[in-house]
Amino acid sequence: MPTDLLSAALAGDAFLLFDGAMGTELQARGLAAGELPELLCLTHPEVVSEVYAAYVAAGADVVTTNTFGANADKLGDAASVEEVFSAAVACARAAGARYVAADLGPTGQLLAPMGTLAFDDAYELFARQVRAAVAAGADLFVIETMADLAEAKAALLAVRENSALPAVVTMTFQEDGRTFLGTTPEVAALALSSLGAAAVGVNCSLGPAEVAPLVERMAPWARCPLMVQANAGLPHVEDGVTVFDIGPDQYAAAVAGMLDAGVTITGGCCGTTPAHIAAERALLDGRVPVRHELPDRFAVCGPQRVTSLVPGEVGVIGERINPTGKRKMKEALRSGNHDHVIAEALAQERAGAQILDVNAGLPEIDERAVMCRLVDELLGVTTLPLQIDASDPAVIEAAVRSYPGKALINSVNGKAESLAAVVPIAARYGCALVGLTLDEDGIPATAAGRLAVARKIVAATDAAGIPRADVVIDCLAMAASTDQSAPRAILEAIRLVKAELPGVRTVLGVSNISFGLPFRPLVNATFLSAAFGAGLDLAIVNPGVRRIMDVVDSWRVLSGEDEGARLYVEHYAERSDAAPATEVGEKNRPAEKDAALPTDPVERARRLVLDGRSGPMADAMREVLLAHDALFAINEVLVPALDEVGRRFEAGTFFLPQLMASAEAAKAGFEVVRAAGEKDGAPAADKGTVVVCTVKGDIHDIGKNIVRMLLENYGFEVVDLGRDVAPETVADAVVERHVRLVGLSALMTSTVPAMAETIELLRERAPWCKVVVGGAVLTPEYARMVGADFYAKDATETARIAGEVLA
Amino acid sequence: MAAAQAYDIRSVDRAEVLRYLGYSGQQLTAELDARIDAGVERCLALARPTGCVRVFDVSGRDERDGEPVISLAGTALELRGRSIAAHLAGAEAVGVLAVTLGMGVEAELRRLSLSDRVGQLIFDAAGSALVERAADAAETTVVAAAAERRLFCGTRFSPGYGDFPLATQPVLLATLDAQRALGITLSSELLMAPTKSVTAVVGLFAEPREDAGHESCAACLCRDFCLLLRSGRTCRD
Repeated sequence: MPTDLLSAALAGDAFLLFDGAMGTELQARGLAAGELPELLCLTHPEVVSEVYAAYVAAGADVVTTNTFGANADKLGDAASVEEVFSAAVACARAAGARYVAADLGPTGQLLAPMGTLAFDDAYELFARQVRAAVAAGADLFVIETMADLAEAKAALLAVRENSALPAVVTMTFQEDGRTFLGTTPEVAALALSSLGAAAVGVNCSLGPAEVAPLVERMAPWARCPLMVQANAGLPHVEDGVTVFDIGPDQYAAAVAGMLDAGVTITGGCCGTTPAHIAAERALLDGRVPVRHELPDRFAVCGPQRVTSLVPGEVGVIGERINPTGKRKMKEALRSGNHDHVIAEALAQERAGAQILDVNAGLPEIDERAVMCRLVDELLGVTTLPLQIDASDPAVIEAAVRSYPGKALINSVNGKAESLAAVVPIAARYGCALVGLTLDEDGIPATAAGRLAVARKIVAATDAAGIPRADVVIDCLAMAASTDQSAPRAILEAIRLVKAELPGVRTVLGVSNISFGLPFRPLVNATFLSAAFGAGLDLAIVNPGVRRIMDVVDSWRVLSGEDEGARLYVEHYAERSDAAPATEVGEKNRPAEKDAALPTDPVERARRLVLDGRSGPMADAMREVLLAHDALFAINEVLVPALDEVGRRFEAGTFFLPQLMASAEAAKAGFEVVRAAGEKDGAPAADKGTVVVCTVKGDIHDIGKNIVRMLLENYGFEVVDLGRDVAPETVADAVVERHVRLVGLSALMTSTVPAMAETIELLRERAPWCKVVVGGAVLTPEYARMVGADFYAKDATETARIAGEVLA
Repeated sequence: MAAAQAYDIRSVDRAEVLRYLGYSGQQLTAELDARIDAGVERCLALARPTGCVRVFDVSGRDERDGEPVISLAGTALELRGRSIAAHLAGAEAVGVLAVTLGMGVEAELRRLSLSDRVGQLIFDAAGSALVERAADAAETTVVAAAAERRLFCGTRFSPGYGDFPLATQPVLLATLDAQRALGITLSSELLMAPTKSVTAVVGLFAEPREDAGHESCAACLCRDFCLLLRSGRTCRD
């Protein structure tokens, strides 16, 4: 009854033994370095089968197909994916394997946003392999040697959506306990088991002794069995041959320790042999599986970091990345220049946020595209897990599908339509989910009414198989100024939800409570204390408001979460009403005076631009504006200073970092002028819009960033599309805004064709638009060849060209 | 999995970093000086320079499609083009190497690109200088292997130089198992990520080379990492 063992093993009730190394075994049989080992399934099936047969004879329950790199991209013209999988499964069957696991290794490419392979393209590469393996008759999948959580997720989704077979997933770690991309064992276990991996674990990487502590770290986060396929030690070269040191007995002894920690699926990776597998067989036959403990905790994660709360702990969700009622945020989302978003993210992280809410809900923008880009960019600057905040289920799904981690979805509510659309998304992608206590009848006024909606939501999540700890009920704060019974009802609702729906968590956006009242932070803080007292787990707040974080930090002392009040004493020892903290985490510091700077603010501002010092720039500019208007500040102070910088750069008395530092200082000055102008209602200077980007396939964006800084300084509005940008995206942006100038950058010869392609599309869709190109490999001849209107040798020349074109 | 080496690199030549930044004697402010120092420090702190090296005997020199091709024993790697043929003329064996600073440096470049563009420029230059140091360190393994066989090393030559095609990268990286061992990935445009990675081949010759940079230990870029000096030898002995 072969299926029994597999299902018992995936339920954690039986051991399952995989095979050992294929690559090292094939090399021992003459495979040349750099050859595609997968092709041997077609050219030398008997050799591949011979390796399998040895593993079967050694006692392996499962053999792994020789298809690690058998994706359409790597195979190229050498063979089709279908041929290779068909042959590979046949080789395994011929060897008498009890189960055949179809092997899916990494694509070989780095996924966006760090690399250029789109998540959907990675998914397609895997999906084709999955379909081929299913057709060939595989019994399960093993997704292995993953370093990138996003890629592991693409592979797992490909299996789940293109087959009914289980998939075990292992990632590979370095000695520092992280994958090449910085993922920890905790993150891998949490994210992949939430997403539906049949087992999670560690493979390759290191020897069994080094792998043991990594898989032990996974145990408390994995909702599924644990798996280990270690190397036979760390490889080293002896007499020109790569050798592995750990013999079968030593290997099995190390595995024994891991069985005690709850590992139930084992095997071997590089350097292991049939003898290693035989030793493991002997070990497993004398044992029974140990079940690993899964503590009750709420947990979400980004690719590098987990945020978790055990009952009694409280967490902070930063609310600032949301355009509602925030002019600068609206402007940032509309323009696509996300510097302000990035700054808010970093400020909230510094202030103590543990999760960041991300909302891109503006009627006039493509919410889905903006949300996805925000998530990509936030992943680049913060390790905090994200809360995807949208009312459109399609936006939520687009964002969480490729999110490298376990996201929190904000939100579902008690309406039948919402439950039907959002709960399945949370279940499918293994997300935690915020449930709002409102339904077709609105927000119930009473605590019992809110509980009733919460019951409805939890019934739906229970039915969808979402663990209770992943369900977070928001009892919805309402203004005390309009209904003074509201605060008590909310607090009571929190108590009821926690008591009546055991395991479920609660969250609250606090600040509504004070709407219409003066000195709102005080009311918010008082209410937050009361809510924590009622059992609130997570607060959605602005962590930059000191009073709020004071409540959080002091509550953690009272609740016992801050053990020994260690953190409180560390941060609050110097605090008192007489000495309030100005900014979170910072002590009062008098502004530094620099004696070497001119006292006249106009002179000082010029000097600061020339010296490239942005620190003291804001103060200097504010002083300039005391005596002068904005026009003077721009035309008589900043622009002439920038012109001088440009001259010095041309003459070679400045080099690139100086040019950029000056541009940065000038930008700090412009921002002060712009902020002052907005206060006075004066329109900002607008010289026209320029779209800039690095072309498809190219991730080098330094040159593009320099151009952007300079153009912004000269008063152009810059739409920065980022790097690795598809021709269609450029054309869309140009057409949508009727932009008259595009700047394209490419650093590599291999990406210049993408430049030509982009220009061709622009000619077709936006014939009015001029194109300026630049980048390391470009020359005036190249520029003509790709069909550009202008070649710019550097950023100052681009600014000059923009001035001419947009004059 | 191939054997990866970790390189302990604690400094970068500041003049090299400045050279990557286009420096030609300009007067620097104390702030910029400090930012450059900070960028170099951060790069050294985040980089995990690692590499893989293997040496293969030359097994054949042919002409295919009007192009010279050098074949190597025990690997599917072939070296095509006139540039590499000239560079390796007379070589008995070839050292193949790949090094990288790791994804930590790449993530920092991405972070700076979104939040501090001056910092990005400086950090990028520091990374470029540092990955060349890592390549120097990897080259010493080839030098040592050459010395063992009483052969002498030439200089490094990378895919993309002259007419040595970038299309060499997939097989070169596979030969070293560089994705598994080092985490180097390759895009469909054949660009490596982490971007601060270097691949190269080095010829091993019967006679000492005059262009190899190994003529004197004092001027040798590999000196800090030399495996021979530790045992009191040089690669010219």
